[in-house]
This record gives sequence, C-alpha cells and structure tokens, in this order.
Amino acid sequence: MVAQQAFSAFSDASASSALAADALDALHADVWRAHALALTPQRTVATGDALLDLHLPGGGWPVGALTELLQAPGVHNEWRLLAPALARSGSGPLVLVAPPHLPFAPALAAQGVAAQRLLWFKLPPTLVPASAAKGAALGNSHPSNSSAAALWATEQALRCAPVEAVLAWLPQARSEQLRRLHLAAAEHHKLLFVMRSDQARLDASPAVLRLQLSAAADSTLCVELLKRRGPPLDHALHLAARPPALRQWLAASDASQPDPAGRTAPAAPSSAQASAAVRALQPMQPASRTRPRVAGSHP
Amino acid sequence: MVDRYAFSSGPAGSQLPPCWLALRLHSVLPVERSACTPVADPHTALAWRALQLTPWVAELDGALLLEISGSERLFGGSRALLLKLLTPALAPLACAQGPTALVALGRLWTVGPAVQGDGEVALSDALDWRMPEDTPPADALPLAALPAARVHLPTLERLGCRTWGQLRALPRAGLARRFGAELLGALDRAYGLQSEVYPWLRLPEVFDAPLELAAQVESASALLFGARRLLAQLLEWLRARQRGVLVLELRWELDARRSNALHVDAYHDASGYGRLELRTAQATQDLRHLERLLAEQLARVVLPAPVLYLRLRTLATQALLGESHSLLVDEVRSGDSLHHLLERVAARLGPEQVLCANTQDEHRPERMQRWQPCTVPPSAPKSSSKPSSKPPSKAVTPTTGLQRATEPGALYPSWLLATPQRLQLYQAQPQFHGPLLLLSGPQRIEGGWLDGESPVLRDYFVARSQRHGLLWIYCDRLGDKEGEDAAQWYLHGFFA
Repeated sequence: MVAQQAFSAFSDASASSALAADALDALHADVWRAHALALTPQRTVATGDALLDLHLPGGGWPVGALTELLQAPGVHNEWRLLAPALARSGSGPLVLVAPPHLPFAPALAAQGVAAQRLLWFKLPPTLVPASAAKGAALGNSHPSNSSAAALWATEQALRCAPVEAVLAWLPQARSEQLRRLHLAAAEHHKLLFVMRSDQARLDASPAVLRLQLSAAADSTLCVELLKRRGPPLDHALHLAARPPALRQWLAASDASQPDPAGRTAPAAPSSAQASAAVRALQPMQPASRTRPRVAGSHP
Repeated sequence: MVDRYAFSSGPAGSQLPPCWLALRLHSVLPVERSACTPVADPHTALAWRALQLTPWVAELDGALLLEISGSERLFGGSRALLLKLLTPALAPLACAQGPTALVALGRLWTVGPAVQGDGEVALSDALDWRMPEDTPPADALPLAALPAARVHLPTLERLGCRTWGQLRALPRAGLARRFGAELLGALDRAYGLQSEVYPWLRLPEVFDAPLELAAQVESASALLFGARRLLAQLLEWLRARQRGVLVLELRWELDARRSNALHVDAYHDASGYGRLELRTAQATQDLRHLERLLAEQLARVVLPAPVLYLRLRTLATQALLGESHSLLVDEVRSGDSLHHLLERVAARLGPEQVLCANTQDEHRPERMQRWQPCTVPPSAPKSSSKPSSKPPSKAVTPTTGLQRATEPGALYPSWLLATPQRLQLYQAQPQFHGPLLLLSGPQRIEGGWLDGESPVLRDYFVARSQRHGLLWIYCDRLGDKEGEDAAQWYLHGFFA
C-alpha cells in the first residue's frame, strides 16, 4: 500500500516535471533550440521506419516542402524509402516525372501503393537527349530541353488539387529551379521528392531535407541525413533494405540452402560443379536442352 | 403573345410596372476599339446573355428587346437582373425600360447613343433610368422613335403630328385609310391594345462564329488573341445552353494570294485553310483551361501564309451537371482539377507521354502491367481494368507483413527494365558492375505458348550487387543456341 502510494507520488512528480518541460516548450514554441529537432508546424507523413522517423523533424516526410534524395548515378533505391509513406499518404494520384525505369505496378501494389494511383509523365523521346541545341534544331522550341520539360511537368503536377505526392527525377535541376518547385509544393501542400545525383551533394539546395542513399554490403539501405532542421547527424542510418515479404522469402531460401557462403560466384572455379549457384542451375539443364527442340518442332 | 389590355385603362402607362427592356450597343465604334472588345461579336453575345435571363428576346430596329416581367422576380429584382446582364461588360451600351416593347424602344431612341461606359459606370447609369422624371411618358415620345411611323414622317410632320400622343388623338378610321393598318397596329401595340409578337431569338444549336482579324497575323501563337475573343463568345453560348464543351474546332483561312497558301502539313491540307481540334475529357466551361490547351497546340503550328479570318466551332458538347461544393471549408484544396493537369501535360509533352498503369493477369513480368495513355483520371473506375487489379481500398490501407507475403506482387522488384539488359558472363557467372551473388531462386516462369508470340522460358534469381543492391536477373533457357554452351543472363529489375 505504502509502496503503491510512493510509486504514485513518484509518477506524479515525474509527470509534473514533464508537464513543466512541456509548458516551457509551449512558452518558447517559436524559439528553436539548436540541439533539438525543429518543431515543424507543417504536416508530416510517417516514413514507416521508426528509426528514420526518430531523426526527422516532425517525425516523417514534410508535406508542402521539398525533400531531396541523392544517390549514385544508376542506383535507384527510392521506392524502398518512399513506398510506406506513399501508401499512407491518401488515395490521390502519385505523379512520377521522368522515372529512370519502368515502375513495376504489381510490386508497388504489394507494398501498398495502388497501381491506379500511379501517373507517369514520360519525356518525349525527341527530348531525352538533354541538349538544348537538339531541341532547337527540331523546331520544337517550346520545351527547350528535357530538363525544362520535366521541371514544367513537375510544377504543373504540384499545382493540381487531387495529386498527393510528386516524385521527380531531375538530375540536372539547378538551385533556383528547385526553389520554385519548393514554393509550389508549399503553396499547394504536396509531398515533393526530387531524386538527384550525389554529385550535387556539395551544391546549395533549398530542400528542407536532404538524404543520401546508398546500398550497404549487407543489403541494408544506408541513409545519410545531409540536411535537416535540427542538429547534424554524424552517423548514417541503416534501414532494412527490402519489403518484409521479400526478406522472409530470402531468409527461407537461405535456410533451405545449408551453405550460403558457397553461393557466391566463384572467383576461380576449377569445375562447373564447384558452386552452389551452378548446382542450382544443374537440374534444369536437361530441360533447357530439350525445350527449344520442342518449340522448334511446333512452329 | 404578351397582352397589355390593362394598359388602356391607365392614362399614360407610367404607373404600370415597366416589363420591357431595350438595349442597344454603341453602333459606331472606332475600328481600333472594336478589336479590343472582349468578345468577337458583342451584339450576338449580348443577345445570348439576355436569353439566359428571359426566353422572350427579340431584335427590332437594331436594338434588343427583353420581356422581363416573368423573370424579374426570379433573379431578385431588376437591379440584380441588370447586374447579370451588364457584368462582365461586353461593350458600351444604352438601355431603356418601358411597359411595352415599343415604348421601351422609343425611350431608348430618346436616350440616344448616350453615355454608357464600361463596367461599373454603365451599371450605375443604367440603374438610374427607372426614375419617373427621367423617363418621358409614352405620349411625349417623338414619332421618329416609332419604327412603323418613320416612312410617313414627312407627311405626319406636315399634319402637325410630332409625338405619339398627337398621332393617337387622330381619328382611327381616317388614320387607317390614310397611312394603312400597319401604323395603327403599331400604335395599338405601343399602347398595349394589341398583343406584341416578334420573331423571338433562339440560341443556335451549334456554336459557329467567324472572326475577321484586324490585321494579318503571321505567327500562329498570335492567333491566340483572336481565338480568345471567340472563346469568350463561346462562353456566353455555353452558359446560355448550360452545356460544357468537349471538342472544339478552330479554323483559319490563309491569305490566298501567297504562293504557299496550299501548304500541306498536320494542320493544313492544301485547301487554303488550316484547322486544329481541341479535345477535353470532361465537358467544361473553363475558358482558362481551353486557352492554355489552345496555346500549347498553337505553339506547334507553323503558319505558311498570313491569316485573315478565324472560325471557331463546337464539334461536341455535353450538358453540364451542377457542381457540388463541399460544406466544410477545410475540404477545399487549392489547385486545378486532375483532368486539366492531364490534358495540359499531354498537350505539351504529347498524349502518349502521360501514362497510367493497368495491371493484368499474366505470368510474364513485362506483361503484368501495361502503361497506357491516360485520358480519364486514374482514380475514376475504369471498365477496361481487369478484375485482377486490386480494389484501391485494400491496396491503400497499410497491410500487415503477413498479408503482404501472401500477395503475389510482394516478391517482385519495384523497378522493371523496359528491355532486359544482357549481362556479361565471367566464367559462366553473370556480372553487373562487378560479380553478382545469387541469393535465391530459381523462380521459373514459362508463358506465352498460346499467344503465338515469342514464348518465355526463364529462371529468375534474386542477386546482390555490391553497388546496386538487390537485382532481379534471369537465365533465358530459350536463348541458348546450339553453338553456345552457356545460358544467356539478363537483368530485368531492381529491388529498390
């Protein structure tokens, strides 16, 4: 009984001290103390990764602001990072401006992003070689090059009311162009993600949040927070790099193979049977020999 | 049609409610002013706008006559009705009111080509003429203001008749013998003793308006200025018809004296005319959207010869449903509607560049989805979508990991290569920017036997690359020719 009272008194005391801290925070809500993450008044969408949410101001992707994702050229890990947030961002369309590959709708639907929501703005093939001189030579002076057309399409998408989020792959965007997109996103309260090359890492950017993504050796996604409203983060975050189903499947197939180390591609195999990877290929070799003949006999 | 027998009992009709409006646009306009009017043909536009307010609109003696007794109360009084009629201002105009059409017309004659500026000035002036001391009584109107009396004007003047009242005081039988029944009938109609029937104006079924440009236009984008005035005229027609436009056609006539007027390209067909079609997916009255679409299209047109005439025609229209507004203020989101976005982007980038996904029941990954040109908003239910595509409610709500594992798409990569990329082999092992580590597989996919197209026999593996993370590669078991002992490996997707 006494212990209970003491416990309740203790919890009261801790609650009151927390209350006091809250009151202090509320009193100085306009003052941002540099050791803490900024308390953003704007809405955020949780990223789906608790670790990442912890380190982002407001606990998620900012709505109505520009978020920049930097990656090495040719590497595109953005879906892993964005799909959970896009899945819970509402039911409006998601506009993809000039994505580097085909977004695979069935896979995205399995991650919660409905295929019906995806809208793809592709750049015309005449514009893809991004040289202004070529665009002018074709007599098509209207969008001067692919970069301008992509920027224009991104801004139009931001100005559309039902659109929830815009993902733009803009490798050549300049700072003032990004600022314009940032302002459009802020005006219309949209999620805006711009994917750029990591060569732009040292350039100035109007983005409120800049992240650098890279694939780590152990299949995790290494996220470096380059810029956020808060103190700089000195260590990179490692996020599990796959959708949970794929992770389970990989774990299951690892368990079925007794020696996962042997599955690596052999550096110098003495014979074809040396590696498990080739062993996995072995059972179907007869099939692959016979099936073409079957196909050829029935034209 | 409209009887005013009660009128005869009154002395001069000034006590009776004026239920006719007469409107006349300034007929004499400087040429440079006429090019600046916001609509192509202000007179017709005014008539169409009047038809939104009352069904009885006639044109007589160069003026518009409106019977407003039935609609005055509906629109909240004559002031509100005039506000609707005069804003936005089409052109300077004069107006008058009277108990019968001819009295209103006669008063308009006495008002003359008087002072009516644009906009608010016109409105404040127009609202004042209802005061009784301003309006002359019908008896005091000059005979020149009665159209039927104009041919007899010299004779009547010699008789000493100058006003309607003096003419009415003459004996009817003699008047009919001397000047014919027509003048007497007009006088009876003016005083409400006979019903007034005029050829009532009707709205045309199809909007088709020409416009002569003030100067030769050399560049296609400059045609937009003329087209904008035609579009403003179209808006009056659409509002009166309560319809939205789906397909519009803009034609322009090339100057036939130029040698290359018979030029042939996508917009010109050697007839000396050029044409361009504007299409919009949802019927609209939004002129800004149509203007932007037109600007995008005109930016591609190269005029072979100067243009003098424009013509705008509706090819398809649709009755416009009323728009339902949200009760809550928070629900209102700023911005354009989705189909405006789609059409604007399609107009600039090309219609085949705006794509939406359509999932299909298929084993081959490249056929599981089809990206097709998107004309309808993607959230709208589509008849073409297969039942295999998941209902959006299920897909949107975040599902648990267990549910996701049962879904077929969970093990597919989120990026697919449009064409599989052939992988180099190093000692019979696939390479992609370094050696690949096969993590799991094979997942065997066979399909396309029944299509008659190239059948597919593939073993898919998940591989790990040092730099690119997880890749989806396959070994093509059909590709190995007899000469090659090693199977062909292709990269088909990225697990991003």
